[in-house]
Amino acid sequence: MQLTGSLKGRSSRLMRSVNSLAGAAMFVAPLLALVAVWAAVVPLFNVNPRVFPSVGAVGTAALDSIRDGTLFAHVGASLLRVGLGTLIGIATAVPLGIAMGVSPTVAAFLTPLFRFFSVLAGIAWIPIATLWFGYGFGAIVFVIFNAVFFVVAYNTLLGVRTIPHTLRNAAASLGAGRWALLTEVLLPGALPNIVTGIRTGLGFAWRGLIAAEMIATNVGLGYMLFVARDFYRTEVIVFGMIVIGVLWLLIDRLLLVPLERATIERWGMVRRA
Amino acid sequence: MKTLSLRNLGKTYFDPYAGAHVTAVHDVSLDVEPGEFISVVGPSGCGKTTILNMIAGFIPYSKGDILLDGKPVHGPGPERGVVFQSFALFPWKTVLDNVGFGPKMRGVPKAERDRIAHEYLALAGLSHAAHRYPNELSGGMQQRVGVVRALANNPDVLLMDEPFASVDAQTRMTLQEELTRIWQERKPTVIFITHDVSEAVFLANRVVVLSKGRVLDEIAVDLPRPRIWDDLVRDDEFKQLSARVLQMVRAA
Repeated sequence: MQLTGSLKGRSSRLMRSVNSLAGAAMFVAPLLALVAVWAAVVPLFNVNPRVFPSVGAVGTAALDSIRDGTLFAHVGASLLRVGLGTLIGIATAVPLGIAMGVSPTVAAFLTPLFRFFSVLAGIAWIPIATLWFGYGFGAIVFVIFNAVFFVVAYNTLLGVRTIPHTLRNAAASLGAGRWALLTEVLLPGALPNIVTGIRTGLGFAWRGLIAAEMIATNVGLGYMLFVARDFYRTEVIVFGMIVIGVLWLLIDRLLLVPLERATIERWGMVRRA
Repeated sequence: MKTLSLRNLGKTYFDPYAGAHVTAVHDVSLDVEPGEFISVVGPSGCGKTTILNMIAGFIPYSKGDILLDGKPVHGPGPERGVVFQSFALFPWKTVLDNVGFGPKMRGVPKAERDRIAHEYLALAGLSHAAHRYPNELSGGMQQRVGVVRALANNPDVLLMDEPFASVDAQTRMTLQEELTRIWQERKPTVIFITHDVSEAVFLANRVVVLSKGRVLDEIAVDLPRPRIWDDLVRDDEFKQLSARVLQMVRAA
């Protein structure tokens, strides 16, 4: 009984790693195809490097920025801002979302404000944020916080509302008080939606970050792109764009997907993607 | 010893679709002795689930009293354990932690509540599933967890709301036999809501027949225990009792 169980576990683990390898190949293949087309088209039509760089030029720009350390300075600055803004956003949005989910009065009062501010969330705040915090770190973190806050709070609210009422009843009839209801039922029950909110919010935040860094700082990936433009360095611009895209994919794969796998997928609360 | 009493219990609520007040429970009085197993049976709409929800404290009552050991009952509480038709297990907790939830709420330390949970899981033949999550279990196994989760909290009354209605017929018979066995071992006080007449008779010491929010009749069931379906399907007394209750329910 136990033996067959562990054998089954092992073979399914093997199947899963084969599957994920195949999945990775399926994911990378179109990107490689795009690079191949790019590598063929630029010399074929003799494209002006001021319009679009060759693959080789971008590779050289990449090596240069790694060698002199500027890439890591930009990436480090950007990740720190996104990380801090997102953490502050989550830490404030989840309690508010739960309060809204529990209390119809709070929800009714705040919903119009949410509708209004979620349209404004993100880059529309850049001008006033720079007035409040000055150019640099504070303004950018504020913009990121803003992008994350509203979407996470709203999704937390949705999550609390979708918890079956019988689960709250079950907890209450087993002796759970208000605090236990919050930590044992509402938070884990809302987690699928909270994760969705974080994923969407991080997407907004990442875009907001690049926009804010173009305006309000002198280090970071957005700044790297923007400055390269002034010198017609298309190879640096394209390299920066690639880094932005790849970093986002890495954040998703290495942070969000494992989080989902360990929690809501394991609990059977969402279907495995 | 705790005794549960319903005194002239009634429930009226406003139905926004009908635009009128609806009375789900008119006037129900019932006394439940400690260690008794009572089945409440009736056609849908007779108010049986409403009564259970009022005893559980999930909904307020409009008139009368619910007394547990002489004290009025308001809101949910751990002295009234509930087994739900939809199981209502916490998907994010293992089977062990689901069963240990009640003791955890009482502040029982981790090692002790794990011991309690293991003991109750063994009672339902579920020891092998202790570290699995509910979504990995069949419906029948999930409801076994639901039953022992309520029992592990040592309630004065166990309220069961059509708990076996959503499992297949064979599993249901097994669960019914297991429930009577567990009841014999532990003698909890049980109020069991069902629309299935043979289930009501099979399980109970006393069957309460409800109709349109009122108690139509009560029938004592003195069939010997342990009760096993293979014996009872051929038992004349069981057949007669079931036929009598069925007649009442259909006429209700």
